[in-house]
Amino acid sequence: MSTILGRRSGFGLLLALVAWLFMLGSGSVLAQAGPAAAQVERQQTQPLNNAPVWREVRSGEAHFTTVRGPETGVLIQTEGQAWRQWRNGPITFWGGVLLLVVPTAIGLFFAVKGAVKLHGAPTGRRMQRFSTFERVVHWGTAISFVVLGITGVCILFGKHFIEPVFGNAVLGGLLWAGKTVHNYVGPVFGVFTLLMILAFLRDNVWQAIDSVWIRKAGGIASGEHVPSGRFNFGEKTWFWIGVTFLGLIVAGSGLVMDFPNFGQTRATMQLANIIHGVGAILLIALSLGHIYMGTIGVEGAYQSMKTGYVDETWAKEHHEFWYDEVKAGRSGRP
Amino acid sequence: MARMKFLCDAERCIECNSCVTACKNEHEVPWGVNRRRVVTINDGVPGERSMSVACMHCSDAPCIAVCPTNVIYQTEEGVVLHDKDGCIGCGYCFYACPFGAPQFPNGPAAFGARGKMDKCTFCAGGPEENGSQAELEKYGRNRLAEGKLPLCAEMCSTKALLGGDATEISDIFRDRVLRRGKGVEAWGWMTAYGKEKEGAK
Repeated sequence: MSTILGRRSGFGLLLALVAWLFMLGSGSVLAQAGPAAAQVERQQTQPLNNAPVWREVRSGEAHFTTVRGPETGVLIQTEGQAWRQWRNGPITFWGGVLLLVVPTAIGLFFAVKGAVKLHGAPTGRRMQRFSTFERVVHWGTAISFVVLGITGVCILFGKHFIEPVFGNAVLGGLLWAGKTVHNYVGPVFGVFTLLMILAFLRDNVWQAIDSVWIRKAGGIASGEHVPSGRFNFGEKTWFWIGVTFLGLIVAGSGLVMDFPNFGQTRATMQLANIIHGVGAILLIALSLGHIYMGTIGVEGAYQSMKTGYVDETWAKEHHEFWYDEVKAGRSGRP
Repeated sequence: MARMKFLCDAERCIECNSCVTACKNEHEVPWGVNRRRVVTINDGVPGERSMSVACMHCSDAPCIAVCPTNVIYQTEEGVVLHDKDGCIGCGYCFYACPFGAPQFPNGPAAFGARGKMDKCTFCAGGPEENGSQAELEKYGRNRLAEGKLPLCAEMCSTKALLGGDATEISDIFRDRVLRRGKGVEAWGWMTAYGKEKEGAK
């Protein structure tokens, strides 16, 4: 009896020694086999308890499968639920609220205050405000932006306002075209945004005169003339926050979703979609202000970007420092 | 009314992939799309377990919630189906689905040109007329309308994959779990050894 026990314990010692040497030699291998080892141990101590395996199922890690495709080895990805709640929740609701409130506020402002008219009489002498290159870049960005904005809004909100009115078939057809257009125009917008930043960067840097504009809030409420350079602080804000910051973020996050062929995971595209949605809604809201000021809000503003020229009175009233610089032959020409 | 569900018994699945093959063959699934797949955890080492996974036909289906064109819907039997005519291939169902069920014939193509989403239909076809040619071409065979259950589960060599009314398949599974590990449910056991005699020690 004792000899058998002795032999057994000797064998056990030998096993332990082998296991110990194995551990010394291949720590990383054992670490990789961790979950598997846990399962092996569990099915011996608690047969039919597969908790270690189910933990692996929930881990979102890729396991073995013969099926080829994006993330086919992952059994359960839980990020999708968070993405769904963000997208269908706050982004749809608060984004929708913002896109209704901003145009309403602008409409009310226009109804109360009306357009900013020229105070002096036009001189009839015109001066160049935008070069042909600048106008091509502006309208390229503007047109692609409007196309993307409308199609994008339909993709997020279409089922809340198109479907109840026109039905599911119209929504499907419209969005099929809309999504295709959105996906192909998107990169075009990205290129135009980069060109836009290059074209207008020089005249959008901070000038001392901008502090006056900030102090007087641009004279929007008072109707007072606030002198500014080629671009006032409001325009500079739109350039930096709208065009540059939000424009690049929206274009970049869009490209992440537009080209899934580079092997990005669903988690990456979900995050890109959230950033894209938030950024785009903010950009649209800001753009409404810019579009208002550039069309019906300020008399003569639309003509300046359409033709590239403004009347000297307009230049003097809206961008006095720029006017002075151009007249003095210093910088400031487009 | 039945509530259709899938159930995969991880103690039984042997990763033979006959569910995958059966599905592909029955529905003439396009290249690159596998409505069902088998995933093996701890592959090739002790502690290995396999699971067959496809659309689980969720009650609160994330794909339905995020679809921009509202073309995914749930039948009275709980089966999640979709109308390919209105699908724009945006991939949102693929983002949202926990199980990776929605797939696209063009795969992750540039400019998001994925093609129309394809996924498990619980062998219940789609919105077209039951058994029609259009339904067969777009969604595959409609076995449910013929009174048959999903072919993947029917073909399962170890009956690991169960598909059908929730109460039925959960009863089967519960019964299995109760008897499991006691030897009697093993194949041929009763035939070879008979019932244990009353009072025998």
